[in-house]
Order: sequence, then structure tokens, then C-alpha cells
Amino acid sequence: MGEEHRIVIPGIQDRVPDVCDFVVAAARRAGLNERAIYHCQMAVDEACTNVIEHGFDSAGVAGQIEVLCRDDGESYTVRIADNSPPFNPLLRDDPDPDAPLTDREPGGWGIYFIKKMMDAASYHYEEGRNVLVIAKFKTPSNLLQAEKPPAGTETQVRELGSHIWAITPTQTRLESNTAPAFQTAMDAQLDARRHWLIVDMSHVGYISTSGLKVLVGAWRRSRDLGGNVVLAGLTPHVLEVFETVGFDQIFEIFESVPEALEHMSSQMA
Amino acid sequence: MEISTSELKRVTLFDIRGRIDSTNAAELGDALNAAIDAGRTQIVLDLSNVEYMSSAGLRELVTALKKVKRGTGDLRLASPSPRVLEVLELAGLDSIFEIYSNQVEAVGSF
Repeated sequence: MGEEHRIVIPGIQDRVPDVCDFVVAAARRAGLNERAIYHCQMAVDEACTNVIEHGFDSAGVAGQIEVLCRDDGESYTVRIADNSPPFNPLLRDDPDPDAPLTDREPGGWGIYFIKKMMDAASYHYEEGRNVLVIAKFKTPSNLLQAEKPPAGTETQVRELGSHIWAITPTQTRLESNTAPAFQTAMDAQLDARRHWLIVDMSHVGYISTSGLKVLVGAWRRSRDLGGNVVLAGLTPHVLEVFETVGFDQIFEIFESVPEALEHMSSQMA
Repeated sequence: MEISTSELKRVTLFDIRGRIDSTNAAELGDALNAAIDAGRTQIVLDLSNVEYMSSAGLRELVTALKKVKRGTGDLRLASPSPRVLEVLELAGLDSIFEIYSNQVEAVGSF
């Protein structure tokens, strides 16, 4: 059980950002929130940097670092293995965060951050390699908040400026079973003569033809009424769908709601 | 990481963008050293566009702070992100550096 991803880099500093990107992507797939993801990135960065500076460079050995990311449902674990001389970084004395400036060494904080930022850290030496295992538990404080709005509030509507309204579908998937509620919400706006609409798509990670039909229908109606429907905050997958079906040629698409608002205000003027 | 430097009347302002980690922290150290060696010891670092900073970045900040504090200078920080602020706090640096919520306040503090 669980999902596992592996990367191996040569023990040189310039490759550590690759490991960071890799660990961040895996942590995001595991559903961790941005704070927890930052902690994982920093812990792994510090661990690899420490191995390279003190293990490989100062011992004059070349080597490699293997990083395994694992999500077992209970925790997100990163296992960092390297073939530098045996050294347990967790036994290092912690620097003192209360020390005044004059008593401080500028460096030496890397391992301290690993211990402070991760929920668990352990070290062992195994088959000629240092193995550091660090983890974030999948507790609510480390996870993205589940976005499950109460029934009937799947679509949020608010007025942004004179006659411009933002519609935010909070469904993460706009497909055959969620599209009808979205259709009802869009129709309600147009029936109320609100025909300058910005649809905030930032919650929507997936859209099917049913979802696309609602948007196109609303766009046509708004144009007939002399208004417009524009889209903001498309997630990468949804943007790809739009490009594939050519809908990026129909809709005006903006990075964010404020950008869309600015554009729409100038259109109305 | 990108660093742009502005020489204001009393302050040298560093606007830093991107990631500060072990691969590039030395560049930041070099830039700070160059200013300090030229006698510009009233320094503001605008961190609002720094998305990530590891201990390698902290090391350069503390080294530079020690250097400017030998004289009458200071190095002050403006608008670190919540994540970067947490890093500073964990190392106890939030009580060592003066930290301002924006660039204007930080520059005006000198």
C-alpha cells in the first residue's frame, strides 16, 4: 500500500534544487498544505546540503544521494540515503535560538530546522549508507482543508463592482453530476440581468463537456444581453482542456479575478 | 534568485526575488559585502518576493548583520512571507533583526 517515488542525484550542490522540486511535487500529491510542503522542502534541502558539504566535499569523496518519497495514508515520509562516511546528523548539538547576536555563529542551523519542522526524524546506517528518514504526519494541521461546502452553497456569488459579479463554483469537479447545480446558479444570475460575470475557476481541477456546455451557454446568453462571461484562475488541467477544444479562443481568460475585473471594467466603460 | 540594488539617500535597498539556497546564497553574501565594504552600512532587504530561504540564506544575513553592527550601521528586513518569517522565528532571528511590514517603513526607519 502507498505511493512511492524515487530520485537519485550525484552529490553536488547544484542538483539539490531538483530534489526539492521532486519532494514538493510528491508532498503536494500527498495533500499536504503549503506550510507543511515548505517544511518538507527545507528539511530535505538542509539534509542534502549537509551531506554534500560535510560528507562528500570535506571527505573528498564523490557519491550520490537517493531520495524516496512515500505516502502511506498516515504520513508522508522522505528517506534520504547517501554513501558518505557514517555520520548521524541528529546527534549534533542544537544551536541556541535565544543567543544574542554577538554569541552566534552565522551557520549551523540546517539540522536544527529538520528537527523543528518535521514531525519525526530518525537515522541509521545500513549497507554502507547513511539513511535519514523524516516524516510529516497527515494530521489536519498538515493537510489542505477539505473543501466540502454545505449543500446548496456549491456556487458562491458576490458583487465586485457596479454590475460586475463574481461566480465561484466550489466544486472541484464540474461534470455531469455537478454541472446542473452550476447551470442553475449561472441561469439565476442571467435571469436577474447580471450579465457581466467573472467565473472564478480556481477550485475546479477537472471539467467535462457537461461543465463546458454550462459555460458556453452562459457566455452566449450574456453576449445576447450585451454583457460578457470571462474566466479567471484556471487550474493547469482545466486550461489544457480549454486549449484542446479551442475554448481559449472563445473565452477571455485571466490569471486572477482582480485582473479580470480590471479588464471587464474597461470593457464596460 | 535575482538581486536588484538601489542606492537611496541614506539606505541601500536590496530587492531580492526567488529562492535563496545553498546554490546561490554566496551571491547574496557577495552583494551585501560589496555594499558594506563601500561604506553603505544602512541596509534594507526587501524579502517580499523571496519564495524560499534555507539556512544558507540565514547565514549570509547574520554574517552581514554582524559586519554592519561593528559600526553604526544596521540591516533591516521588509515584508518576509509567512513561511520565511517562520524560518526567522525558529532561529530566534525575529528578535535580532528589525523586521518591517513593508519596504517604505523599513527604509523610513533609518
